[in-house]
Amino acid sequence: MSAILEIRNLTKRFQGLVAINNVNLALEHNEILGLIGPNGSGKTTLVSLVSGTLQPSEGSLLFEGASIQHVPAFRRAHLGIGRTFQIMRPFPGLSVLDNVAVGALFGTSGGHHRLRDAQEEAHRCLQFVGLNNRAAQRADALGGPDRKRLELAKALAMRPRLLLLDEVMAGLNHVEIEEVVGIIKKVRERGISILVIEHVMKAIKHLSDRLVVLNHGEKIAEGKPDDVLNDPQVVTAYLGRKRI
Amino acid sequence: MKLAQQLALAAIGVAALATVPWWGSAVLIQFGINALILATLAQSWNIIGGYTGYPSFGNSVFYGLGGYGTAIAMVQFHLPFAAGLALGAMLAVLFAFLLGLPVLRLRGHYFAIATLGLAEVMAAIVSNLEIAGRNVGLVLPLLKGDALFFELSLGLLALTTLVVAWISRSRFGFGLVAIRENEEAAAVMGINTTLYKVLAFALCSVFTALAGGIHTYWITYLDPDSAFDISLNVKMIIMAVFGGAGTVFGPVLGAFLLSAISEVLASRITSMASLFFGLVIVAAIVFMPRGFADLIRRFREVGWRYFQENVKAHRL
Amino acid sequence: MQLLWQVLVNGVLLGGLYALMALGLALIWGVLNIVNLAHGALIMLGAYVCYYLFTGFGWDPFAALPVAMLVLFCLGYLLQRYLLNLVIRAPMFNTLLITFGLEVVITYLAQIAFSADFRTINPSYAGANFPLFGATVPVVRILAFGVALALTVALWLLLVRTRIGRAIRATAQNLVAARLYGVDPRRLYALTFGLGAALAGAAGSLYGVVSQINPYIGAGLTAKSFAIAIIGGLENPLYVLVGGLFLGIAEALTALYIGPTYTDVVSFGILVLVLIVRPTGLLGRTA
Repeated sequence: MSAILEIRNLTKRFQGLVAINNVNLALEHNEILGLIGPNGSGKTTLVSLVSGTLQPSEGSLLFEGASIQHVPAFRRAHLGIGRTFQIMRPFPGLSVLDNVAVGALFGTSGGHHRLRDAQEEAHRCLQFVGLNNRAAQRADALGGPDRKRLELAKALAMRPRLLLLDEVMAGLNHVEIEEVVGIIKKVRERGISILVIEHVMKAIKHLSDRLVVLNHGEKIAEGKPDDVLNDPQVVTAYLGRKRI
Repeated sequence: MKLAQQLALAAIGVAALATVPWWGSAVLIQFGINALILATLAQSWNIIGGYTGYPSFGNSVFYGLGGYGTAIAMVQFHLPFAAGLALGAMLAVLFAFLLGLPVLRLRGHYFAIATLGLAEVMAAIVSNLEIAGRNVGLVLPLLKGDALFFELSLGLLALTTLVVAWISRSRFGFGLVAIRENEEAAAVMGINTTLYKVLAFALCSVFTALAGGIHTYWITYLDPDSAFDISLNVKMIIMAVFGGAGTVFGPVLGAFLLSAISEVLASRITSMASLFFGLVIVAAIVFMPRGFADLIRRFREVGWRYFQENVKAHRL
Repeated sequence: MQLLWQVLVNGVLLGGLYALMALGLALIWGVLNIVNLAHGALIMLGAYVCYYLFTGFGWDPFAALPVAMLVLFCLGYLLQRYLLNLVIRAPMFNTLLITFGLEVVITYLAQIAFSADFRTINPSYAGANFPLFGATVPVVRILAFGVALALTVALWLLLVRTRIGRAIRATAQNLVAARLYGVDPRRLYALTFGLGAALAGAAGSLYGVVSQINPYIGAGLTAKSFAIAIIGGLENPLYVLVGGLFLGIAEALTALYIGPTYTDVVSFGILVLVLIVRPTGLLGRTA
């Protein structure tokens, strides 16, 4: 079975700074792949390259076998790539429901065309993440953890085939983290392939099928979570001799 | 109040206004025409400035193109008024597509300045064109009957408002609002931001140009300075913002209110109208920057503290 | 060839004045993030202060210039301190609209106070010329150019070499950090706006000597100042100087080779092109 996402020799330079350096990576269908690495290692840059917010300097990206590095961001969304943002970006003036409705209106295959259908879909997604009771509130009235759920609901409303999650668990307590892990597993059960960027190690260990580690824009390890997290190179990259 | 109810109320209002030419004084009808045209201009600006969040200072170009299209068609080619309007609208749409594309890539105040620059360029170019009468301008044939212009202006305003109402509940409109609130996120969610922005720009150009054509024919005269007048553009922005940008009826409300205030002051204290207009703008930006629509909505909750809160939120 | 040289000289001299005109606007925009649509009106006021000192008390316009600067400084300080500081944290668009309101008020008051007649400041040496390698240079224009250049360099030195200049630049970059260093932002903002207004006052005084003034020149001067500031680049007074010279020469050449009615087409056409292709200005850092 071919991978849903293939990243080949991907490099991204910003005026002299090499943010991503010759990264090769494949995400299999229906897999949960964890992406970890110290701050500044290029994780969010990689996600931005996949979603189309940034253009690569070199290398290629294949989604479901087809090359996408020249496809504009909005069309990648139509193909089925959805993402959340690390620094959350709700549409502040809109209600929670309408925020999610945007995802339903414009997602995969161009989304719904009727507002009512989109809003129904939005309700379903909010229900899925446990936020439906706040559907009528303004998005900027939500607190941190609820904003994370909103980000997730927005991405889900796009009915993606590939979901890119950028630190959806930052700032959550243990209970909230478990809930989110449960939600992500349910998402995978629907047949969606997921790339998860995380700092919360315990969560990502239990969630991922495989882990990939980035450091200074390069891939330094890849494999099963236990193997990767005990790899001495990975440990050094994070914090000298501290054990995870 | 749901949108459908608001529209029904507005329809009654339009029907009532339509009767004005029969019982109103000449002064009232003239005031009405000016107010209706300004309201249309504010409402059109609302599409690109209010909903899409791109504050255009180039709408005066569309107004001018509408005016000149009409004038040139009627004066130089002796075509009927409708043909003139159509020509004006076509010129405006062409301009919106050709120049909208590069200029809409700019963000925030850079976009505003670029459209301002375009307005100055157009004024300067037109003042050199023989067919447009150069600096002197053109004089249009006189058509007696303010009633006709009143009804035309009213009809145009109603049409523009209907379009904006449709936008507010459509997929297109949601796309525009998403672009306004967070353009990068909008793109990643599947919105073709370039296409949508240009379409919004083109849509507003049509109504602005039509308003320009009607107004020009009514005044029977135009020259580059008055056609591409930047202060007209600022006026329409202020009316839209004062009433409530990004709402369906805000710009109309703002235009009528400010026109009425200006008119009342002009009759009472003659030349001081300009001064009070400026002071009203300054006070409004300080105390009610989100416009009348927001004031009405939140006054019920917080009362007079609304004004204080606005200042506190925005002061250094 | 002779004509070209004369035109170039005219362009450079005009460019110096242009740069001074745009300087205040660029400073306020760059530091306070305020797009001041009343800038031209402030230039106009500076011109009238100089005019009345000249006609009322017989002061030489170049001696009246510092007074005009002082008056405008005080006006600008008060405007920022007690009005603009109230809206400065609102979306930038709001400051744009409020300064438009100010422009309307100032223009109106000026029209009442000074009447709509065209005036000009005509010192005794107004008609004197001197030759410069074959070109004829009006004495007032070369003096104006000198003053403009001096003020531009003075501003640059102020920003780069003095403590207050460093405070201004620090506040421009990071308000929170500047506060932690003990900068009082309300006074500093007011000071900066006052400085920008003072420069506008100087530009107005010079403008009154080389050209005609009336209460309505504000809007056109604001638009022109925008073009100059953006074409040069907002970061640095010296960039604005380049922008002014560039535009002055471009307009002079346009008047010669295409026609004097096309100068606005060229100026604002270049503005639009620069915005589309290189929004940080000809000299600014690429975004």
